Amino acid sequence: MSSEIFAVVREVQLPLLAVLLLLGAVTKMSGRAADTGGLAVLVSERLRRPSAVATGLLEAALGVGLLVSNGLPGEAARALTAIVFAVSVVVLFLVRRRDPEAGCGCFGGLSRAPVGRRTLTRAGLLSAAALTTLGLEPAGWQVLASPTPSHAWVLGAELLILALLSPELRDMVTRSTHKEPCELREVPLNHTMRVLQRSEVWRTNEPVMIKPEPTDVWRKGCWRLLRYDGIRHGRRVDVVYAVRIGGRRDTAVRAVVVDRASGAVLASYGAVSQAELIGPPRKLPRPSVAARLHERRQDPDRAAQSLRAARGLSILGEPAERAPRGHDHGDPDERRPAPTG
Amino acid sequence: MSETAERRDRRRLTSVVLGPGSVPDPTPLGARVTRGVVVSANTRMLCMAVPEGEERFLYDHDTTFWRGGEVGPGDLRPGDDAVVLRMAGGHPVAERVWAQAARATGVIVARDGDTLEVDPGHGRPRLTVVIPYRNSGRITVRHPRLEPGYVFDAVGVWREGAVWATRPATTQPPYPLRATPHRPPTHRYGGTLNGIATWYDPAWGRSTHLDPRAHLDAVAYPALDIVGHDPACDRRTPCAPLPLLSVGATLSLRNDCTKDSAVFPVVACAAADSWLCDLCPACGGQGAGRIASLTMTGFVALGGRLEDGCFNATVTVHDGEG
Repeated sequence: MSSEIFAVVREVQLPLLAVLLLLGAVTKMSGRAADTGGLAVLVSERLRRPSAVATGLLEAALGVGLLVSNGLPGEAARALTAIVFAVSVVVLFLVRRRDPEAGCGCFGGLSRAPVGRRTLTRAGLLSAAALTTLGLEPAGWQVLASPTPSHAWVLGAELLILALLSPELRDMVTRSTHKEPCELREVPLNHTMRVLQRSEVWRTNEPVMIKPEPTDVWRKGCWRLLRYDGIRHGRRVDVVYAVRIGGRRDTAVRAVVVDRASGAVLASYGAVSQAELIGPPRKLPRPSVAARLHERRQDPDRAAQSLRAARGLSILGEPAERAPRGHDHGDPDERRPAPTG
Repeated sequence: MSETAERRDRRRLTSVVLGPGSVPDPTPLGARVTRGVVVSANTRMLCMAVPEGEERFLYDHDTTFWRGGEVGPGDLRPGDDAVVLRMAGGHPVAERVWAQAARATGVIVARDGDTLEVDPGHGRPRLTVVIPYRNSGRITVRHPRLEPGYVFDAVGVWREGAVWATRPATTQPPYPLRATPHRPPTHRYGGTLNGIATWYDPAWGRSTHLDPRAHLDAVAYPALDIVGHDPACDRRTPCAPLPLLSVGATLSLRNDCTKDSAVFPVVACAAADSWLCDLCPACGGQGAGRIASLTMTGFVALGGRLEDGCFNATVTVHDGEG
């Protein structure tokens, strides 16, 4: 059983290594970002591009060899693949020593993360994987043509290990799922203008502005500020907008109208108070529950006493002429609310 | 509208819209640093032409002098551009004098023997840098590739219109500028960052007794917003995750070695500083990346030594939430 699983593991390496090599070849030979890491760090400027292309061509040849060849040419491709990955471990060590910030360049411009232990482990494991394929009968395409559930399981497990060892994947996921903080985000001016011109603050101030283009634009961290010329009640004013980068459309824009001569602020729009607002209670009790609670808290004697005290004060404090205005109330104590319940 | 008025207006209007805490006023750094042109110098006294007229400085037995290296008071020459740091206490006694200090930071665009042409970026004029034979070993240890395309940063002295490099100000990255790796994604920004502060000379060492730029205490910033900046700032994304700002903003800067701090206005783009991602060996700092390039006088006023080229610093940019 274990020998069968080992045979499956060996077979799976062929298409897996071939795909990785072909992917590496394509990324190395496409774009200028390819020659920024890995071997390029160790060679002179003149040789960077040729070395990247040569490595890519070698990887492409090995990838094709692993897929289509068996017999002696196949064995040669497998042995050469193992040697290439083993050499790459040494190269990566040297790259890390030479420039700790350089990427491995394994997948061209995608491999920008500095060379770390995971990258080195990955190269070492791939070299070992290539060694296990020595002596296999089928070529890579034959493995692909007759897959079994065991192949799928082994391939899945290996892909998982590779994903854990690949900074490129983490980098891609991070870049696609996380936005940079608004302070650091580069935003084109026309995007800011769109947000501004859709805002209510803009519509309110539109009649004041005399030019459609801002006279000055500047940035302050999360905010882009725009200054417009304007006239308000015959006086020259500056209408200054602050548009928050990545803010909600309805709250992203603030504005002030400033008198140009005196510098006085004539109007302010869109600023949100920093004071803590008192919110409603989280949940109001049902009326029957509220009534029961009220009754429980009710103390008739105390209520009557406080009422008496209040009326006494009221009668003492009331001016004499206002006293007859009241209707004939009789004894105040007669108006004591009947105890409920 | 003059640039200064524009800067002041931006600060005033930002304060009105986002609250006064978003743009603190620049700190007056006092008169401990003076820059001007040497009129006469002897072993006891230095006389300098400054914007207000002439100023004289006496020497103490602790006073030191730099002119491409440690020199004596007799090595200062009339016509030299000089920066003087006074003794604390307000007396006209010099603590340290730098003469003809220059710096070349940028990318090498041409080489002819021991002469380089360096482009500092941001449309500033290209500099001719001479690497004298006696300093070449020192320079090439930290700048092994003096070829076009590679970054260069060295401190030296002005001589015949060229910068004569005396000591490297950084370790050259092993890749050319165009192959600079991208900054990894940043998830959080806290308002305060560690890194290194450097210096630049906005007056190019010329007529420093007349040029108001020579006396400015301000910073050039490596993460200037491209929009609204003219001429275009050819900066790259700096390796320190700095918030984007424009000319006119202010930031607090602390010298981590001396603990001095001050608020500086942003007056220019520090394109060349955005190209480098280096460490400063001064007082064992760990923050990588250049966070601000101070003017010569601002750098000295905050406790920096021009010949070192950098100090570890903490920058705080006040946010506009309010």
